[in-house]
Amino acid sequence: MNIFKYRNIYLGIFITTMILSVVFVFVNPHNGWGTKPGSPLNLGIDFTGGTKIYFPVPRAVSSDEVMAVLKKIDLPDFKVNPPQPNQYIDSTGVTRYQVLVYTRFLNDTEQETVVKALEAKFGPAGTGQGLDISRVDPLIGKELVENAMKAVVVALVLMLIYIWFRFELISGVAAIVALFHDCLLVLGVFGLFGVEVNSTIIAALLTILGYSINDTIVVFDRIRENVKYKTKDTPFVEVVNDSILQTFRRSLNTSFTTVIAILAFYLIVPNIQELCFALIVGITSGTYSSIFVASPIWAIYKDYQEKKALTRKPAAAR
Amino acid sequence: MRQDLRWRAGIIFIVTIILGLIISPIGAGLFKTDPIRLGLDLKGGVELLLSPDYRVGSNVLLKLGDAFTAKLTQANIAAPQVAPLGVMDGDRYDGLKFTFASAADAQRAMNVGAFPEHYSFEQMGETKNFNLSPTVKVNAVEVRILQDARDFPEDALERSKAIIEHRISEAASGMAEADVRLDGKGRLNVQLPGLKTLQQARDIIVATGRLTFRINDQIVLDGTDMQDIRVSYEAGKGYVINFIFKGEGAKQLEKITTENIGKKMAVYLDESMLMDPVIQDAIPGGSGVITLGSASKDEVEKDALLMKSGALPVSLRVVQSTQVAPTLGKEIVNQSVLAAVIGVAAVVAFMLIFYSLPGLLADFALMIFVVLFLGVMAIFRGVLTLPGIAGFILTVGMAVDANVIIFERIKDEIRSGKRVRPAIHAGFDRALIAIVDSNVTTLIAALVLFFFGTGPVQGFAITLTLGVLISMVSAIFVTRTFLEWKVDNDPDHYTKYFGAKEVPIE
Repeated sequence: MNIFKYRNIYLGIFITTMILSVVFVFVNPHNGWGTKPGSPLNLGIDFTGGTKIYFPVPRAVSSDEVMAVLKKIDLPDFKVNPPQPNQYIDSTGVTRYQVLVYTRFLNDTEQETVVKALEAKFGPAGTGQGLDISRVDPLIGKELVENAMKAVVVALVLMLIYIWFRFELISGVAAIVALFHDCLLVLGVFGLFGVEVNSTIIAALLTILGYSINDTIVVFDRIRENVKYKTKDTPFVEVVNDSILQTFRRSLNTSFTTVIAILAFYLIVPNIQELCFALIVGITSGTYSSIFVASPIWAIYKDYQEKKALTRKPAAAR
Repeated sequence: MRQDLRWRAGIIFIVTIILGLIISPIGAGLFKTDPIRLGLDLKGGVELLLSPDYRVGSNVLLKLGDAFTAKLTQANIAAPQVAPLGVMDGDRYDGLKFTFASAADAQRAMNVGAFPEHYSFEQMGETKNFNLSPTVKVNAVEVRILQDARDFPEDALERSKAIIEHRISEAASGMAEADVRLDGKGRLNVQLPGLKTLQQARDIIVATGRLTFRINDQIVLDGTDMQDIRVSYEAGKGYVINFIFKGEGAKQLEKITTENIGKKMAVYLDESMLMDPVIQDAIPGGSGVITLGSASKDEVEKDALLMKSGALPVSLRVVQSTQVAPTLGKEIVNQSVLAAVIGVAAVVAFMLIFYSLPGLLADFALMIFVVLFLGVMAIFRGVLTLPGIAGFILTVGMAVDANVIIFERIKDEIRSGKRVRPAIHAGFDRALIAIVDSNVTTLIAALVLFFFGTGPVQGFAITLTLGVLISMVSAIFVTRTFLEWKVDNDPDHYTKYFGAKEVPIE
């Protein structure tokens, strides 16, 4: 089987998905696929700063009902996003209701004011139900973004150096391009579905970096080994092709088991859905990119070098 | 059975039993708490990030407003309307907002340098320094004002940390797991498991501790006018605490000490007694010495610090807070355990179906991996957070991955004509390079996460690092031992179990 016969198709898919990701991460005037106005990415308070209150309610409530309570609160510059009611089934099988309230960053007294107002209307949190509040100062959010960028860049540079050391420079570059592809794709999918991006996304992205590079290295390791045994006129592309086929089953099996394990978490633990979603998308993308992005880049570059060497030889003989 | 195999199997067996005991109820007795520490997101409680509050109170803002207005009038600009900027927090605002008659006036005010970057003034013999950052908004200038950090003691944060720790231990019950840390970026991270509301947390942390001096249980003096406390060494007396009162307090102290020579004057922080020295002599001028006999330097310094801690040396404000109800935490733990069991079971089933005998052995290795991982987490007192659990599951995937790589390799070797035992050797050796290279790159990501991350992200990094390391050991050492052990008697009988269809005939 010759995987590289379709190299133009891979290139096409690569360019298309990357452009689409850039659109959904940076350009899209709406939040997500719909017409909901807002920034392209649904940034959580970890990044923007603000207050997020999960308030438990004893029954199903409507957004307007909660909004009416909040509107009565007299605080300067107090803006509230439409409250989002939701329900879930807890581990004892009981259906619980809660409402999610987003506001600007509140200070201690202001937070108490808002919680008291909600308690006055809906009553205090009962047994088996919890009030869950997080607040982030906008300044901390800015710092978080800066740290995240630094972390990703440092991780990429260190990985590049390691791969350069263990393989060669171009394979390092190919691996980094694949990693970049995975991170951008995950963010793009988050943008597309309007899933909230919070601080755990940084953990998710770095894990995806780690996992995807793991995948890529296993393929590269095969290429490295097969190159050792190849005859002089076997083209590099063919070696890469064989190596991919040899590691194909392993790549699929591994990603499949990992995705299944994380899927269990995605379905059962609602509080880490965003993290699990990112991991599922990222691991799938990481497996794909090892085979259809990283390896072709390495192969195409080597192919180009081999051809250049061939055309030069007759010239020298003349 | 070969001698070295027996040894290896023995080591695996013993280590697994020991770590298994550690995470069992026996371990809980050993650590006097859950063997594996749960993060705040799993246990419930309040987490605060406190930053020194350099914003300025309203009375100082008023003075600053007057001073700037006077400056503007001097420059022939019509006096602007002055209002506080931002939302009131306690008594503090973000700064001042000057609204001028016209946009041109606002621009002129900027041009004449009415709002310099640094500004300072004297108040009651003490210089206050401010950092200003003005921005023009049409006909108004919004000036953010922060007091300069050098107006506060250099060790303000360390002192605040000690004071908060003291207050937490005073508040006692159930706060054994509370944790106060400097985050390295000039902030304090306070974790208070078990607390339910922000109000409770604030009462403990921000409430001012009160320093009082008592004779016969009567408060005779408080610490308001206490100016400085130092520890020094005096020959013959050991380590002593020097203290200085100023103003009214100094006068009171002189009067009290003159009238009560020979009596005990106890020093209290809130309702706990720090020391009860005897008044030896009248103390005129406000500066006295407390001699504590043979107490060690550390003890004396701790007492001095607590005396100082009458008030926090710098106001702290909450810049980030997370609050999880303990009930919610318990529920998440239950859900996570269920998910982990299902996830691991799915992986085990997959391996069994796809790789038959080697798969079964890998499953055993996986079980041991889980025990080792949890055991090592317990020993290192690592904190398991919600993202950490996801990280754990990811490493389960990677542990399986290492096995898959090895099995596929062995299969290749058998296909290429090797007999089972040499195939296993060659398979492991060749897979080793791939496993090490791929795991080292993952470790790089995990370590970077650890150094750049905070809180839950760091917890995630720790679990990922441990997981990757242990999964390597598990695949390279544990699975290999099992495999060699199983095929030891008649290796070639097992050829078909490795999924290689044609049995090589030599």
